[in-house]
Amino acid sequence: MKENDCIDEVVRVKDVFFQYHGQPVLENIAFVIKKGSFTGLVGPNGSGKSTLIKLILGLLNRRERGEIYLFGTPLEKFKQWSKIGYVSQKANSFNSGFPATVFEVVAMGLYGKMGLFRFLRKGEKEKIDEALNTVGMLPFKKRPIGELSGGQQQRVFIARALVSEPEFLILDEPTVGVDAASVKKFYQLLLKLNQEKNITLLLVTHDIGVMTRYVTDVLCLNKTLHFHGTAQDFETSDLSSVYKHDVQLVTHEHGGFHT
Amino acid sequence: MIEALLKYEFLQHAFLVGGLIGFLAPMLGVFIVVRKLSLIADTLSHLTLTGIACHLFLTQHFSFFLQLHPLWMGMSFSVIGAVLLEKLRHIFHSFKEFAIPVVLSSGIGLGVVFLSLADGFNNDLFQYLFGSMIAVTKEDVWTVFFVTVIVMGLLMLFYKEILFLSFDEEQARVSGIRSNFSQLLFIVMTALVISISMRIVGILLVSSLMILPVATALQFARSFKQMFAYAIIFGELAVVFGMWAAFSFHIAPGGTIVVLSLLLFIVLLSGRKLLGLPVRVYRSKKEEM
Ligand SMILES: Nc1ncnc2c1ncn2[C@@H]1O[C@H](COP(=O)(O)OP(=O)(O)OP(=O)(O)O)[C@@H](O)[C@H]1O
Ligand SMILES: [Mg+2]
Repeated sequence: MKENDCIDEVVRVKDVFFQYHGQPVLENIAFVIKKGSFTGLVGPNGSGKSTLIKLILGLLNRRERGEIYLFGTPLEKFKQWSKIGYVSQKANSFNSGFPATVFEVVAMGLYGKMGLFRFLRKGEKEKIDEALNTVGMLPFKKRPIGELSGGQQQRVFIARALVSEPEFLILDEPTVGVDAASVKKFYQLLLKLNQEKNITLLLVTHDIGVMTRYVTDVLCLNKTLHFHGTAQDFETSDLSSVYKHDVQLVTHEHGGFHT
Repeated sequence: MIEALLKYEFLQHAFLVGGLIGFLAPMLGVFIVVRKLSLIADTLSHLTLTGIACHLFLTQHFSFFLQLHPLWMGMSFSVIGAVLLEKLRHIFHSFKEFAIPVVLSSGIGLGVVFLSLADGFNNDLFQYLFGSMIAVTKEDVWTVFFVTVIVMGLLMLFYKEILFLSFDEEQARVSGIRSNFSQLLFIVMTALVISISMRIVGILLVSSLMILPVATALQFARSFKQMFAYAIIFGELAVVFGMWAAFSFHIAPGGTIVVLSLLLFIVLLSGRKLLGLPVRVYRSKKEEM
């Protein structure tokens, strides 16, 4: 395939293998994420979901084999990082006493886009307010980030990922520690971003029941790719029921861990 | 004191230099504290001493070095050490703190060798260790001013990058920030500021001037911007009054400056406690677990 051949492809993963210290974690992974899709990535704990995402983002560079393309460009040459927003699974593992306000944290989302020697302008400040408003955190703008609850911090990090107006948003279990009512609102927000702003979404979650109601595609991972197809196909497949059962357990354990 | 200040040129120089480092040291200190790099500051200050010892040794054998300010050699060692530290931290990825004792002890060892060879265990050494206001020359002022301009320029250029990296390295990298380069730049800036601070505060006490005002600022700041403001205010207070006390009572300024910063920290912290305000502790989630 030539570069930029298919601009409607946001991610292309080809025959990717990965191991941590000789321990294989991903084997023979291949898939494509199309522009405008909303993909749910599911799989039990330790199945390699976060690892796969870090590979896509170039955060792990000891890839054993395989190729990854972002927006048609090989990962190694990809430079337009502001097109991608990322909320990591451990988003709130930052230093809790870090003396920065919510506003300052969200502003960081714009740093990659801004040139050297540039400070925030009015338009950029408005964008930050808008992103905070989207996640319902505008009233907390001036509060130190360390003084917020875990779920509130999570929302701030989502705002930071949104502020640079990415075309592709990757969220690794963003709703862990977020209350049920907010989870619903959060999914509706994702749907809005996907449908109105045409942002391509990749969402890692254990919450299969809820997820399948919103996503267009499902990736099912457990070291190898077990399923890749539309949400409807996933619902009718055997995998769906197996995972629903498995994952229910997993979700509970998970919740326990974080509280 | 004011009379003396008007009368003695060296005192004017000393206060100029002090004013600049009272501003720069806490400013970089803000990043050092939030990144938990205090030990790196100490390591780099000891390397400055190694460089100065090397200069001392070289002047005895090559007259060329007599024309050179010892601080340049100190700065070179400190900067080279900073680069080395970064490299070592990459090599021992999972044991990053391992790099510090290696560089620190090698630096001190080498410094002692140079000092012994140069017969340098004398009054001069004492000044380098604990600081001095005597005989601060115009050349000192220019050197410090020059470094201040460079460091301020770099900090303004790379403020966003360094702040984001300090907050969350992974996210910063995903935003396309070149983490290795910014990291290296920051540590080199730290090396430069440490070297120039040494003239007044002394090698053994430089890192406290970078850390203590920031620790105090942490109690009051409600944003990252405020951190700088408070840290610089506390830093300048300590330096100016510390130098005044040092001159009046014939004490090494490094001592008075650090003791004053410490007093400021204790008084303001107790004040907060008495007023029933929370005392903030800086720690990461990892340590809480
Ligand atoms: N830094 C690391 N070093 C070594 N092994 C690792 C590391 N990170 C993850 N692993 C291993 O790789 C495997 C996949 O981990 P990964 O974090 O990708 O799983 P996950 O699907 O995201 O799980 P979860 O649902 O718990 O988030 C696990 O077996 C884990 O033990
Ligand atoms: Mg994970």
